[in-house]
Amino acid sequence: MQAGIGTEHDLLLQQKKKNVNKKRLDTWLLLLPTLGIFIFFFLLPLFFLFITSFKNFDASTGVGNEWTLQNYIKFMSDPFYLGVVWRTVKIALLTTLITIIISYPVAFQISRSKGRARNYLTLLVLSPLLISMVIRCYGWVILLSNNGVVNNTLLKLGWIDQPLTLLYTELSVVIGMVHVLFPYMVLSIMGSLEKIDPSVIRASQNLGAGSFRTFFSILLPLTLPGVFAGSVMVFSLSVSSFVTPAILGGPQVKVMSYLTYEQVAVMLNWPYGGAIGFLLILIATITIIAYSKILARSEKGVAIQ
Amino acid sequence: MSYLSLENVVKTFNKTEVVKKLSLDIQKGELVSFLGPSGCGKTTTLNMIAGFLEVDGGKIEVDGKPVHLLPPNKREMGMVFQNYALFPHMTVFDNVAYGLKLRKVPKSEISKRVFEALEMVRLAGYEKRYPKELSGGQQQRVSLARALVIKPKVLLLDEPLSNLDAKLRQEMREEIVDIQKQVGITTIFVTHDQEEALAISDRIAVMYEGRIEQVDDPASIYNHPKTDFVSQFIGEVNHIQGKVLETYENKKCKLHFFGNEQIVSVPSVKNSEVHFFIRPEKIQIALAGSNERNEAFQTRVERKMFLGAKTRYILKVHDRHLIADISNTVLNPTEIKEGNSVYTYWNPEDLLPSRMAR
Repeated sequence: MQAGIGTEHDLLLQQKKKNVNKKRLDTWLLLLPTLGIFIFFFLLPLFFLFITSFKNFDASTGVGNEWTLQNYIKFMSDPFYLGVVWRTVKIALLTTLITIIISYPVAFQISRSKGRARNYLTLLVLSPLLISMVIRCYGWVILLSNNGVVNNTLLKLGWIDQPLTLLYTELSVVIGMVHVLFPYMVLSIMGSLEKIDPSVIRASQNLGAGSFRTFFSILLPLTLPGVFAGSVMVFSLSVSSFVTPAILGGPQVKVMSYLTYEQVAVMLNWPYGGAIGFLLILIATITIIAYSKILARSEKGVAIQ
Repeated sequence: MSYLSLENVVKTFNKTEVVKKLSLDIQKGELVSFLGPSGCGKTTTLNMIAGFLEVDGGKIEVDGKPVHLLPPNKREMGMVFQNYALFPHMTVFDNVAYGLKLRKVPKSEISKRVFEALEMVRLAGYEKRYPKELSGGQQQRVSLARALVIKPKVLLLDEPLSNLDAKLRQEMREEIVDIQKQVGITTIFVTHDQEEALAISDRIAVMYEGRIEQVDDPASIYNHPKTDFVSQFIGEVNHIQGKVLETYENKKCKLHFFGNEQIVSVPSVKNSEVHFFIRPEKIQIALAGSNERNEAFQTRVERKMFLGAKTRYILKVHDRHLIADISNTVLNPTEIKEGNSVYTYWNPEDLLPSRMAR
């Protein structure tokens, strides 16, 4: 009898083990299609880019046969290129900051509204994503150019004597980026606002906090994870964006993606383009890692008091 | 002079009156329960007292001063929420200290008062924990400490025990009453659990459809319900109808029901129908033949349920059912079997008159 129970127990254990193995296999099977696309169309090309960036430039074939660190040294020692890195990061940071400031009230309002109003507001927020990036950018060109809508209006009102230089500046690039990227921030902040239990807000009021204090002590700290998640998305999308800076910034406002394009498509210097591209990826990755470190801490509980 | 008074308070949602001209006076240090089924307006009323909802009519006064126009953060009321509503990003200490920091209490005094409050709810030593590291009961205690540490004028408890399991619920409610008496704070306790309300309240306000049906101490509510709703909502009742055969002086009359005649004291008109309620524990039964009384009538035991200290008998008489709860020390349940015929009787004083017109 005793032995019987023993073997039965063993059988059960074996069955359990089999089930666990099967589950693991299932997980991998489900991931396989995406994983395949990810490996073949993203990781592999990236790897080749990485290899290429350590090759020399050959005027006839593009990619030479010698190994060299020259591409990276050239980039790092040239103040012009470093200036472009700084500008790229600056534009991305500014875009992130402005989207946070613009998106928070919007997210707050949407999370408080109900029913049809909520659906319409959400659709309105998502609308920039429904229009082609190029069309949207040319819309801004019409608005911001020297004889564009903004300048003409200001001139007519007599507020300015000469048209302001709005287009092909860092400002116009930031405006364009904020326009297209703020939906990501709104959705992300909305997500964390909705997770907050309304009675927590009431508890704060009940204990004597006005709306201002409640916002900074309770609402903001509790939504920081959403703000950080949105920032990671907006920052990495804007640091690597190409179309918006190309149309709204042009050659005057060169960013890293534009440099990469120039090297690869115009100069046909693939190794150097690869090096710039790789540095761009590095910057984005470092930022994301730094963000996620802060994010992990904020989820444990960051209290701004 | 009452300490907290509600005068003709009205609340309307989408043109429906949820609270209808509600008036109530609460004495200083009193624990009053708002008891009623869901949707009766008890939580709405509490939220109006706390200031989370505006009153659409009437006024609320605390200590002689009107407060119904003040925002919630100026009302000096401590609230304990059903789901605790602790600040998840703050430690237990910071949660309790929150209200004191807002009141610009000096730092040394803050920590002294926080420790005292946590000691009172038996949570000393938990200062550095985060809410999610605590059990439901512990979170509720932090919530209570957080509400009391600011020395509010009124303590508001919104179904504070409904998320706890039965055993803990009973422990916590005793603890809450102990603390309430110790601090001597005027308290409103919202609940839908009648046993809870009966156990802890100085007075109970039974609410139904936006009105207060009756305000009284627990014993009066149970023994002398003023309306049909109160009789039926608090405890269980059997509904009995009868015909008036004879009326006498002193509001007495002879009734006929279940083939039985009984003299009870209620004002009535001859030949009219009257309705009564009787609580299951007020019905008594005896085995046929053993204790025959002239006011007793015969019933058949249809079902018998052993409930520990008492046994519940479902009795059938004509086409009606009666529920009788009888203590097992009074009547040994093994003596009576399902299908037995038993004599059923009660003390006419225990009948609760009903206004039910059917």
